[in-house]
Amino acid sequence: MSPGPVTRWEAGLKVTGQAVFAAETPAPGLLYAVLVEAPVGCGTVLAVDAAQARRTPGFADLISYPEAQGLKPSSVTALIREPTIHFAGQPVALVVAENLAAAQAAARAVRVEAEARPAIAALGQALDQAYTPATAGRNPAESRRGDAARALAEAHLVVRRRYETAVNNHHPMEPHAVVCCWEGDRVTVHTSTQAVFGARAAIAHAFGLPAEDARVVSRFLGGGFGCKGQLWWPWMMQAMLAARRTGRPVRLELTRAQLFTLAGRRSETVQELAVGLDADGRLTAIDHQVLAQTSTHGEYADTTAGVSRWLYACPNVTTRHRLVRTNEPQPIPMRAPGTAPGTFALESALDEAAAALGIDPVDLRVRNHGDHDQEAGRPWSSKRLLECYRVGAERFGWAHRPAAGAAGDGRWRLGSGMASTFYAQHLQPSRARVRLAADASLVVQCGTQDMGNGAYTALGQMAAEALGVPMSRVTVELGDTLLPQGPISAGSQVTVSISPAVAMATAELRAILAQLAVADQASPLAGQRPEDLDFADGLVRSRTGNVAEPLADLLARQAPAGLEAEGSADLPQVQTHSFMSHGAVFVEVGVDPDLGEVRVRRVCAAFAAGRIVNPLLATSQYVGGLIGGIGMALHERTVTDLASGRILGDNFADYLIPVHADMPTFDIALVHEDDTHLPGGIKGVGMLGTAGVQAAIANAIFDAVGRRVRRLPIRIEDILGHPDPRDGFETLT
Amino acid sequence: MSDDGRIALSLTLNGRALDVETPACATLLDLLRDRLGLTGVKKGCDMGACGACTVLMGGRRIKSCLALAAACDGGAITTIEGIGTLDDLHPLQAAFIRHDALQCGYCTPGQILSGIALLAETPKDLAAIREGMSGNLCRCGAYPNIVAAIAEVAGL
Amino acid sequence: MSGPAFSYARPADVAGALAQGARPGAAFLAGGTDLIQLWKAGLAAHAELVDISRLPLAGIDLADGELAIGALARLSDVALHPRVMAEHPLIAQAIAATASGQVRNMATVGGNLLQRTRCAYFRTQGMACNKREPGSGCGAAAGETRQAALFGASAACVATHASDLAVALTALRAELTILGPDGERRIALPDLYRLPGQTPQIDTTLAPGELIAAVQVRRAAGLAARSTYLKVRDRASFEFAVVSVAAALRLEDGAVVEARLAAGGVAPLPWRLAGAEAALIGRAPDARAFAEAAGLAVEGAQPLADNGFKVELLRRAVIRALETVGATA
Repeated sequence: MSPGPVTRWEAGLKVTGQAVFAAETPAPGLLYAVLVEAPVGCGTVLAVDAAQARRTPGFADLISYPEAQGLKPSSVTALIREPTIHFAGQPVALVVAENLAAAQAAARAVRVEAEARPAIAALGQALDQAYTPATAGRNPAESRRGDAARALAEAHLVVRRRYETAVNNHHPMEPHAVVCCWEGDRVTVHTSTQAVFGARAAIAHAFGLPAEDARVVSRFLGGGFGCKGQLWWPWMMQAMLAARRTGRPVRLELTRAQLFTLAGRRSETVQELAVGLDADGRLTAIDHQVLAQTSTHGEYADTTAGVSRWLYACPNVTTRHRLVRTNEPQPIPMRAPGTAPGTFALESALDEAAAALGIDPVDLRVRNHGDHDQEAGRPWSSKRLLECYRVGAERFGWAHRPAAGAAGDGRWRLGSGMASTFYAQHLQPSRARVRLAADASLVVQCGTQDMGNGAYTALGQMAAEALGVPMSRVTVELGDTLLPQGPISAGSQVTVSISPAVAMATAELRAILAQLAVADQASPLAGQRPEDLDFADGLVRSRTGNVAEPLADLLARQAPAGLEAEGSADLPQVQTHSFMSHGAVFVEVGVDPDLGEVRVRRVCAAFAAGRIVNPLLATSQYVGGLIGGIGMALHERTVTDLASGRILGDNFADYLIPVHADMPTFDIALVHEDDTHLPGGIKGVGMLGTAGVQAAIANAIFDAVGRRVRRLPIRIEDILGHPDPRDGFETLT
Repeated sequence: MSDDGRIALSLTLNGRALDVETPACATLLDLLRDRLGLTGVKKGCDMGACGACTVLMGGRRIKSCLALAAACDGGAITTIEGIGTLDDLHPLQAAFIRHDALQCGYCTPGQILSGIALLAETPKDLAAIREGMSGNLCRCGAYPNIVAAIAEVAGL
Repeated sequence: MSGPAFSYARPADVAGALAQGARPGAAFLAGGTDLIQLWKAGLAAHAELVDISRLPLAGIDLADGELAIGALARLSDVALHPRVMAEHPLIAQAIAATASGQVRNMATVGGNLLQRTRCAYFRTQGMACNKREPGSGCGAAAGETRQAALFGASAACVATHASDLAVALTALRAELTILGPDGERRIALPDLYRLPGQTPQIDTTLAPGELIAAVQVRRAAGLAARSTYLKVRDRASFEFAVVSVAAALRLEDGAVVEARLAAGGVAPLPWRLAGAEAALIGRAPDARAFAEAAGLAVEGAQPLADNGFKVELLRRAVIRALETVGATA
């Protein structure tokens, strides 16, 4: 194979600006769309008066509730069919015009009459209406093993704390966009989505189309992190309605401000956590109660307390998730859903426990290692978390870290902290097609998406390696419903899910090629046994004899039209093991104790996530995840103005995400893990980095300046110690 | 200004002279991305806070979403399309690929143009590169690799 | 959502600009980095933008102990000017801490001084804000007050001024040359700004059609060796200050003979800390003197629900800045 690391397959297109994102799709005769927002944050739209808008130059059409009645009712179409206003900033109409400025002017001229109702603008305003949903993520909302209450009463040490995390927004750098075009009753939709087939199914249902009459394309996706899914589809469909009525292609791009309201969010959490331990630091009980927000038009809860069910061995665990409906935007999964806020709570509490018991934080976690999935009563398919602790601690220099608060570097007091991270592995069905041309170049096709996660590269690499073809000869096609159906880009599932489909397709091609070779008297491989043939370095060669021939020569003689095979993989019928990837994150922070500034200086993390297909890209994914976690720990906070119900400061000047200058140095250890129970031995890497690091930072801040901060993001005032009345109920027995 | 409020401009765009008309309210970003089809110029926030729309004006980096097109009359503008091609990459583009300094790729053209302008200021160390690049946001988290790519080209 | 359409004019000379800028509905456009944001956010509705960015008011001159910066000089040109860096490092430091490299290449000195508040209630449509919509109330005072002013606010407005450069220039006693239809006048920088009172919609004392032509800083070279701009913020770069302090001292025979202190992020305008300055004169630059000065700096602070920490933060920032410039190694 090629020397050196395999670089990102599509990188050349991206560094030259040639990668075409959805909004950039050329479309002659394009109309531009702008959304008209509701004038109130809760209520009913009585009338949308477009009379003045229709007179503005360049106006083409307006889509509101009456125009959407032809769509089939569903959870996706409800917001555009039903004139109920659920949250401030909710669109009530879409205007299209000859150019963007004309559309904006027309949208400003639309008069919306609405009847306002009192809004619930914050979780805290409706605590008495908290309820337990049926599920939290894909898991039950409540769980109970053993008797946590009793074990807590009997524990040697109880750490009982409240943890709070702020609302975060995903903010991919590319705002959601659609360029859609009808030809008769068939429609082509170029859009930013993490699920082209999911979008197609929703479109087909809403518009009453056969699925094959809708084509959804998302070749390049400027980030997603969970927000380029169904919350976007209602507005995409409004644009489609406008395109159908006008008979012209229509483009809608969300504004950055609209990414705070229309694309989903990570819910705030309030977590009441009690952990009980014996004198040796072994967990005897965990009680983890989570309160989070959901909207009045949808329901979603992260499995925030999943960490307490799965991460450690503990005989007595009770968890519960509750939701409060508010007139705020709808939460959806965001980068390490559940595990990011959940590990912040549990891994912070364990740090307090370690300090109280005089046990090293790493040692405390080793003592509580879970050697099987106690919640499900199944073995792990693989779990090298202990090795992550060992490797991470060694590379960080944990054993030689400075004493708490002792070290200084100019104005900075240094502190070290660590935490565990994990993410549950799930699979999706997938298909893939592999086409080998006569010149031994490869085309690999799969209707999944690449949102920066490396799907192009991973897919190409898997096919290239299986057939012994160099990456330079591989073309990968993704993000189109004309391709074989692939997985949605979510939950770190893509690579492992497509792996068996690619393996099946390439195995079929190898079998065909082997048969052709051994039966071909013109081949030096004639007469060999097919099962003895190997594919590498552009050659078909015999493993036993010393004979080989270039793949291209064989193809030219035996398959001048090329060969093609398709593979598919369904979900396993019986789950005998639990699948989880793990990691250990070590952090060094600098804290200016006088001015309250916190800067992360060094992150060393060891991750065990099966077989790593591409170390270069996996490391990038881990680092990117960790940076997202740093943002959640120190910067990101979406605020609702209680008076108006609107998002306060809906821009990048107020919603801070980390910048270059905030970057620590990163040292990522890829801990190899053999997993014979997952396809290709592959696990996901995308979510792993974004959890754990928040607690590691909080723990390092405590180490530096002796201040426990249990609310994210951790800001200057938290370090200065401006009193927080909510800290009142802490107990450490 | 013409009767319909459009303004005639002369630009040097990626080395080529260009005469074009623009509405008074159009930004340079609107002109480049929508009118002239230079879609390597990205719209990330449209409020000067993300850097995805960075272009070079007379060799200096600016945010094209905050520049009125009309005010750029006579300017020499370079977008990512004028930096290098697949067959003839700029050294920083090649370094971005080697260092995997991109993930989704949406902020990438702005990062590269900003990096090229920063290289002209000869940053003295990694901290100077980080500070100098802080006007370019990346949500995937490619920052360390971006800095590594710029540092390599800077010979640091 | 952008604001209404405007027309664009680029007068050839200063006289033409003054004439066009005095017309009703006209506004001057320089770097545009704030004005275009305001327009896009629906916060500025001008019939005409008068582009002054190419007028010959961009020079940077040092003569006879006075630094004169043309109001249309770009921030980056000022910050990287060798003599500004050497003789007025406080100005260079404050600009280096401002915005991003791209914005510094566009933004002008005059525009920076005239930028409108970053108060999120002002910048976000739909919020109550007397500065944006007189009579609508102050959403900030009743809402999230982390950004809010400690000094100089009124019941009608608690917004702060966000310019770093203005803080440095205030400490350096800068003056402004103002050009207008009625001729030229010269004012002290703080006199450019108004306290909000009952009319927070009016930020400055500029009359319609007036523009800033130049900034002058006199006799500040003696402070160059001991000056610093300290900007405290949650993010390491590209963020407005939570609190900032510009400090400069001149020592003779182990005692402070000249002290300059101003703070940012704490008031509707760059906030001169005159009491603290006076308290330092004649004192040895030691911890006690600095603590006393810092105590005076926060005297009269009126914190709200979420910004109480800024009182202590300002006190500590003044001490830190003084320690930085007062070190007698």
